[in-house]
Amino acid sequence: MDSSLHEVWQAAAGSPFVPTVGKGSQFLVAFVLLLIGFSLSGAFALSMPYLCHSNVIQLVLLTMRFPDRSLVNLPILAVPASLALAVGVVYMFCAVGVYV
Amino acid sequence: MKTTAVFSAFVSLLSFASAAGASSKKSSASSDSSSTSTTLPATFKPPQVFKNANLVHVISLEKNYVKENINVLVENIDKAPQDEYFVPFTADQMSRLGGVEVKDRKDASAGPFVAEPVEFDQESDIQYLRIRLPKPLAPGAQQTLGISYYLLKAYKPLPASIKQEEQQYLTFSFSAYCSSAYTTTKQKTEVKFPSGNIPDYTKLPGSGDVSEFPQKQGSKLIYGPFDEKPAGAAQPVSVRFEFTKPVTHVSRLERDIEVSHWGGNVAFEERYTLYHRGANLSSLFNRVKWQQAQYYHPTTFALKELKFPLRVGSVDAYYTDVIGNVSTSHFRTNKREALLEIKPRYPVFGGWKFPFTIGWNSDAKNFLRKTATGGFVLNVPFLEGPRQPEGVEYEQVQLRVILPEGAENVRYHTSIPPSSITEAGIEIHKTFLDTLGRTALVIRARNLVDDFRDRDLVVAYDYPLLASLRKPLVVFASAVAVFVVAWIVGNVELKFDSPKK
Repeated sequence: MDSSLHEVWQAAAGSPFVPTVGKGSQFLVAFVLLLIGFSLSGAFALSMPYLCHSNVIQLVLLTMRFPDRSLVNLPILAVPASLALAVGVVYMFCAVGVYV
Repeated sequence: MKTTAVFSAFVSLLSFASAAGASSKKSSASSDSSSTSTTLPATFKPPQVFKNANLVHVISLEKNYVKENINVLVENIDKAPQDEYFVPFTADQMSRLGGVEVKDRKDASAGPFVAEPVEFDQESDIQYLRIRLPKPLAPGAQQTLGISYYLLKAYKPLPASIKQEEQQYLTFSFSAYCSSAYTTTKQKTEVKFPSGNIPDYTKLPGSGDVSEFPQKQGSKLIYGPFDEKPAGAAQPVSVRFEFTKPVTHVSRLERDIEVSHWGGNVAFEERYTLYHRGANLSSLFNRVKWQQAQYYHPTTFALKELKFPLRVGSVDAYYTDVIGNVSTSHFRTNKREALLEIKPRYPVFGGWKFPFTIGWNSDAKNFLRKTATGGFVLNVPFLEGPRQPEGVEYEQVQLRVILPEGAENVRYHTSIPPSSITEAGIEIHKTFLDTLGRTALVIRARNLVDDFRDRDLVVAYDYPLLASLRKPLVVFASAVAVFVVAWIVGNVELKFDSPKK
């Protein structure tokens, strides 16, 4: 046991712990991030030729200039999607009451 | 339900979100296990170096545990300075003894006095508590010690079974002479009761101008003053008194405090195994009589309500038992108070048991602070059980402070008497979104009472930035892996090549 800890506690009186995202806005932040994440995942999936044979979707994707089957899809779609999902998942856990 | 549904959705959608359940694994890193007992040879007898010049023994039977105060003026009768004072207890008392605190009655700044049990012979019926004086007492010098402690499971109901509307009476046996390892020149024993209704008590022949002991003063019995008694002198007496209140005994309390940096939350959960140690019912419980008695005779020895005054800022309280949610509760939370009032599913009579769970949340800013060195310090109450007029005793307490995953360099301090803490160490607790598991400080204590409510526990720890980013990084890595696999699979040529012409 460390009896000096009471002084440490007193000394830190001016700096209570405040989280980056407060409890009130966790759901909104998580929802937006997950929406972005899933949207980007969808775009990534649709850009895969063997996963999607619909000519209409192929046409849309071509119009949006998504590179078909290209390795470029990974950094421009998959990585941002993963980042958004990663932070979104953590905040969604907190938002539903399981404070991880 | 909502929570579970959202989880299942996430876990199924994102196979990487590993929910390992709330299983905890004991780690080998048991940092500062505190063992306070000392081993002495089996033939040990306390050296006769002290004399109790004057001793006042106050036994308080007002609550459902016994609180004893021994105020003693000790004198060193040896030729050398002495700093070890021994207090004898029977082995049975020793197992039920807790919350030992010693101070100098005349000089509050003198201290600290260390009180620890002495292990010398497990078979011996007499065990000793050793008190180390902060400064050795010079030959011929005197010091006033105030020794206070609690005895749990101290009473027996007599009659052992009564009707549900009857008054409950308890008996308690003790020695009219305070048990001491030294000669006592002058002493008296005061016994305090919850009411003046004390139908039976042992009478002793008086001395001096008092014809008979004890003298009764309102709700107090006074045995003594007695003249000089040798070391180890005992005079068994017993008292029987009215106690129309529940004899609440918590055989085990598991208290979890979970700190979340991501959520900015401190979650509390307490699991009680509660017994009523009072008189049993002599006939079957009668609901109609019970309901009638609520109006014309509300005092009863059954436990019908528990009040938990929580810290201001507590929210999201819940109260469950093995069946599920118990709806008979009130939670009043505002800027001034956070009072949780719960009623058991059934009135708890003697010999009955009621295990239940309560929990609540609070903002982290109420308990957690950031230190100048970049670490964190948490200050939480060690016990936060019910506050009842009749008191509550806790036989086994397990307090678990679950820190965030990756917290290191954990130090703690608590104002609970060190002799009550049996074990303390670091364990690993795995739950949602954990990979390595969270650092959990586990403190086990025994024989505590509700007087120690709100004694604090300060925990300091370091939490590196990389450790705090572990959860999103794990999810990120898993998601990237899924995308890469999907991309590779998506690029596999499954068509037969058309033959070239």
